Amino acid sequence: MTASLVTQVAIGGLLMGLIYALVAAGLSLIFGLMDVVNFAHGQLLMLAMFAVYEIHQATDLDPLIQLPLVAALLFLIGVAIYRGLIARALGVRFNTGMVQVFVTFGLSVFLVGVAQLAFGSDFESINDVLLSGRTVSFGQIVLPLPQVAAGVICLLAFAGLMLISRTEFGRALEATREDRDAVALIGIDRDRIFSLGWGIGAAVVGIAGAMLAMFYYISPTVGDNFALIAYVTVALGGFGSLIGALVAGLLIGLVEALTALVMDPSLKQVGVFAIYVLVLMVRPRGLFGRL
Amino acid sequence: MVSITRRFLLATAPGLTGLVLTTPCEVQAAPQEIVIGAVYPLSGAASAIGHDAQMALQTEAEVINGHHNVPMLLGSGGGLPGLGGAKLKLIFGDSQNNPQIAQSEAQRLITQEHVIAIIGSYTSATAVTISQVCNRYQVPYISAENSAPTLNQQGLEWFFRPSPTDIDFSRAMFDFFAAIGKKTGHPVRSIAIIHENSVFGTDSSRAQMKLAQQAGIKVAANISYQASTPSLQVEVERLRAADADVVMPTSYTNDAILMMRTMHDVGYKPKAIMAQDAGFIDPAFLKAVGPLAEGVMTRSSFALDAVKLRPAIPAVNALVRPADDGKDLNDMTSREVTALQVLADALNRAKSTNNMALRIALRATDIPGNQTIMPWQGVKFDSTGQNTKGKPVIQQFQHGQWRTIYPFDLATEAAIWNVGV
Repeated sequence: MTASLVTQVAIGGLLMGLIYALVAAGLSLIFGLMDVVNFAHGQLLMLAMFAVYEIHQATDLDPLIQLPLVAALLFLIGVAIYRGLIARALGVRFNTGMVQVFVTFGLSVFLVGVAQLAFGSDFESINDVLLSGRTVSFGQIVLPLPQVAAGVICLLAFAGLMLISRTEFGRALEATREDRDAVALIGIDRDRIFSLGWGIGAAVVGIAGAMLAMFYYISPTVGDNFALIAYVTVALGGFGSLIGALVAGLLIGLVEALTALVMDPSLKQVGVFAIYVLVLMVRPRGLFGRL
Repeated sequence: MVSITRRFLLATAPGLTGLVLTTPCEVQAAPQEIVIGAVYPLSGAASAIGHDAQMALQTEAEVINGHHNVPMLLGSGGGLPGLGGAKLKLIFGDSQNNPQIAQSEAQRLITQEHVIAIIGSYTSATAVTISQVCNRYQVPYISAENSAPTLNQQGLEWFFRPSPTDIDFSRAMFDFFAAIGKKTGHPVRSIAIIHENSVFGTDSSRAQMKLAQQAGIKVAANISYQASTPSLQVEVERLRAADADVVMPTSYTNDAILMMRTMHDVGYKPKAIMAQDAGFIDPAFLKAVGPLAEGVMTRSSFALDAVKLRPAIPAVNALVRPADDGKDLNDMTSREVTALQVLADALNRAKSTNNMALRIALRATDIPGNQTIMPWQGVKFDSTGQNTKGKPVIQQFQHGQWRTIYPFDLATEAAIWNVGV
């Protein structure tokens, strides 16, 4: 095993980790805001990937160029999910937590079914993306350009999220998170904040989906492959923490890649879950959790 | 007058057993409709394969029930002549590609739908549970495309598999390596095995390891992975580092797509890829990766281009295509068609839907290859229910089509061989 192979694998793992982190960021945002675990998160990712695929089929627009379009589309879907389902689920009198779990879980099953009906259950893939088959090399280290671009975009998205959290709206988000009843007294429209939160959470996943569509296959069940990792990332980084999601995503990507290098790759998630269990034991609220 | 000798008794004993066990109501009249179960993944990640299987089985039922005059056994239509023209009816169970669900679906089909046999099931992991349920209820299980070699070694009396196993398939690959090495002067010196980690991939890699050892070929890497993995980059880097003459993947569709995409993305092109069928021959794979698959070789139990030797292929294909979204018959769907044909032939000869009579008839199956759509010598089961006459072919993806390249007498194109070049 050469040093360049290890470096290459580590960088590849970190790039993948950025995508895990971005998928998790959307989940974390929604959870942090209103204590709702969105079990349909993987399906939002899947919808974004299919949106990219269908737009690409129809217009030949590259996934990179489609980015703002897909993010906007997912934003609308996120808002619609909040308005149509979550707001109602929040309104039930008792066992609200359970109702939310079942509503989002039911939504996930529904979305997979809708995707199978609308797009078929075959695996699709976008081959002729702008960056496909191109690589950047530093000495002996060769990195695929689509993954590098995806990593850069994910970092930019994170920077955007950080910026949003510093604006007036961000402070309103933070205030609503801390006390959803008190904010009403100072004139913050809670419902509006929540739907924007869902919109942004979904848009973030939309960006991750558009990036994934450059090199990953697309199918109605593709979300499952990433959802579990997203939940682990959020729990590892700390519920509701943006920086936690970023660090945890990178950590998971790195550990996964290095485990796959030194052990049988079918065991690569063992390394990830080992760290997860360790963190749970030592620091149950996650690396950056405040709860 | 016939004197009753020991030989006479021995010869007629199976028939007598059948008579004793046949219930009176079944003797009275042949049924108008024979219900056959099929368990496939109709939802979930593998549902595309399940949908194809559904279309293939329904097409073969239509060949037997309708009037399409396909030049093969039971191809003239009009139902089963041995059962007074009874028609076949298929009832499907959805395994969701989960062995536990497959088990309960098989049970449901047998106890509630009263199917007389079950055909299945795509993945070998689901076949394990279905075949055991069938054995418990004494209902034949016809394994259409499960290829794990351990399946017919479970000691099950109701298990029948017309298809070759992964041992046969892998043996065909190594036979091909030897033959092409001799022909071109560039033999295979090393292989790198990469396989998904369920029973299909694990059995396949085990067989390939053993055969490589016997052939004196070095195994430079043996990598296993989970089919649902979010990334295959490290796996592909390890393949690149192994630098073997031939990369030998055993994969399902999604991981096969991801593997080819990843190889392309990181700029790694193996000298030769010899795939264990499955994902690599799924039309969805070719649609998804397109030209990236050019030059990939696979074992196959089916040769769409062998129309000269198997005249029924165009006729069956013409019926499958419109039913299955324009997809041609492939290695999976052809074997599903054949599984139902084999079962129907046994029913026809048993002249009964009684389970014991059906098993005796299945045991006595002897269909010549040219009466099927398969390039096999025929279908004849050994004592474990394994077909002894199924011989696979090797195909290569050339100019957008699968071409048979081995055995050389069946080949429609010469192999493109980059090893040692």
